[in-house]
Amino acid sequence: MRSLINGKIEPGRSVFFWFAFAAAAVVMAVLPFEIGRYTLLNFNSFLLMTFLAAGLSLLWGFGGVLSLGQSAFFGIGGYAYGIIVINLSSGGWSSLAGLIGGLLTATVVAAVLGWLVFYVRLRGVYVGIVTLVVTLVIETFLNQTAGPQWVVGSAHLGGNNGLGRFSGDIQQLSSLTIPWGAHDFTFMGSSKAFYYLLLGLMLVSYFCLRILVNSRFGIALTAIREDPDRAESIGYDVRLLQTVAFSIGALLAALSGILYVSWGNFITPSVFGVNANILPVIWVAVAGRKSIAASMVGAVVLQWGAQALAIQGQYALIIQGALLVLAVLLLPDGILSLGPGMSRLRLPSRRTTGSVALRR
Amino acid sequence: MAELFSFLYQYADAFALLTLSAVGLVIVFGMMGVINMAHGELMMIGAFGAAFSYHAGIPLPLAIIAGGLAATIVGLILERLVIRHLYGRLLYSLVATWGLSLILSQGALLVLGPSTLGIPSDLGNLSFDGLTFSLYRLMLFAIAVAIIVALWALLRFTPFGLHARATMSSPEMAEALGVETTRIYMITFGLGSFLAGIAGGLFAMTAPVQPTFGAAYTPIAFIVVVVAGTRNIIVGLTTSILILALVKTAFTINVNILTGYVAMLVATLVIIRSSPDGITELLDRGRNLLKPRPASR
Repeated sequence: MRSLINGKIEPGRSVFFWFAFAAAAVVMAVLPFEIGRYTLLNFNSFLLMTFLAAGLSLLWGFGGVLSLGQSAFFGIGGYAYGIIVINLSSGGWSSLAGLIGGLLTATVVAAVLGWLVFYVRLRGVYVGIVTLVVTLVIETFLNQTAGPQWVVGSAHLGGNNGLGRFSGDIQQLSSLTIPWGAHDFTFMGSSKAFYYLLLGLMLVSYFCLRILVNSRFGIALTAIREDPDRAESIGYDVRLLQTVAFSIGALLAALSGILYVSWGNFITPSVFGVNANILPVIWVAVAGRKSIAASMVGAVVLQWGAQALAIQGQYALIIQGALLVLAVLLLPDGILSLGPGMSRLRLPSRRTTGSVALRR
Repeated sequence: MAELFSFLYQYADAFALLTLSAVGLVIVFGMMGVINMAHGELMMIGAFGAAFSYHAGIPLPLAIIAGGLAATIVGLILERLVIRHLYGRLLYSLVATWGLSLILSQGALLVLGPSTLGIPSDLGNLSFDGLTFSLYRLMLFAIAVAIIVALWALLRFTPFGLHARATMSSPEMAEALGVETTRIYMITFGLGSFLAGIAGGLFAMTAPVQPTFGAAYTPIAFIVVVVAGTRNIIVGLTTSILILALVKTAFTINVNILTGYVAMLVATLVIIRSSPDGITELLDRGRNLLKPRPASR
């Protein structure tokens, strides 16, 4: 067990790391009592994205598969949750059904798409482009569902306006609710309860992913990242492992999507758009994709920074785009690579011939 | 008869749309292996360049070329500053150009605001057999065909084409023989940017010119690139567009535009399932089947 948690694959094994981890956990545990309700509402929206970032880190940082369309599963999870919740509008069990339904739908869609993509040994840029086109087509489809014929049971897809917003008085999407004795307990987006739910889920998913990447599965995945052909010749089923990693990434993205709907009580087709898809890539690339922890922290810090910048003017997205370009040029493994024991800053090579370019 | 003409017209229209959207991207991908995610933004710059030039009183054809040149300048700057350093690392170049696209589109939004520009397309119509055809659409088709022919001639008959094909098939060998591959890559990227800008200027006559202008064309261009593959630029480009335009036209006529797009995506997935290296791989395999088998010893 110890070798699984503190194994070789996920960085952060020193006593210092665990000390910092414990300190951060304590700070996070008391934080909601120190900040106002509005700040908490914002902070919750940052935290709920960490699962999306962690999934992308597993897929890209460990599996070497860059999906440019992770938000497809974020959106599919969110929409499925919303549709189920609207259709089973009574009782506390409906949101649990929505949660499970949302996670399952996204995972199954990812498994099918993974089968289509990885079983023909599509690699590198092709995977990124196909996943991006899939999410953009979903966005285009949903944008034209404003008409009254686009209903699933009693849920109206609502086109641009999104699911469950401005489309009738009973269609407000409800937050996650659990049956609690005679009453139901609802995790409102601005509540401390939602914050602690997120914190708990973050801890659970971080440790699960840590164990996963340090297990034989993670080692095989890392081998595929380093050299898919060699990994295959040793006997690993590259196609299967990549499809499984893709599905786990989708599961985590869907968890973020469901929590997002639960937080804001609405979802629109823009969650499938280009900007929604590039942001997770920025968080993970800038912070350090080869670490689950760095990716999760990066998601929170960069969203926080972007929001602070957005108050100043419209520079937030430009600066994030510039951060991404600079990270790729100067720190290909993200800020994490500046840390102790990591490979140092890499300056771009002056002159590279195209030979490698065309062989990949 | 009228239905046939109507189908052919729409097919030619789809062919032009796909060719113009994708040709710049396909050249850069085919020659350098780099997928330029900022392709749509280069189209947007071309559209703005053309619209501003046109409203400044420059005649339309020159205005469109001015748009193409504006995109070329931006493209060359991007190549020099960013893409050149990432030639050996394709996933990184994909991510970096995506960042550039975000910077360009948001920068345009900041500088130019969300307002829209436009170029009127009053080229008139052509009536035939009781049907009217837009001359502008027919012109787009003619330009698309002309661009493909010109590219083929450029690669086939000029010294640049020879060096470019040498670089494509074996960069080390080409370099050993004295070809400056980095220069070839730079020119290729400039050419791709120019074609993106020209396409932007041409589409500016039908679509509102705004910072998000390119977003409508990039998914199409990506689909064409994936189907075209990297084995042979001209053959890959034309066969993939002939097939995808057919799929798009058939589904657009019989169902609706959106289904046309979805059908293109499905067709892409079907094609890459049978040949992951693009349609040219399928063609190569077909040609090998036709070859006589070597006599067994």
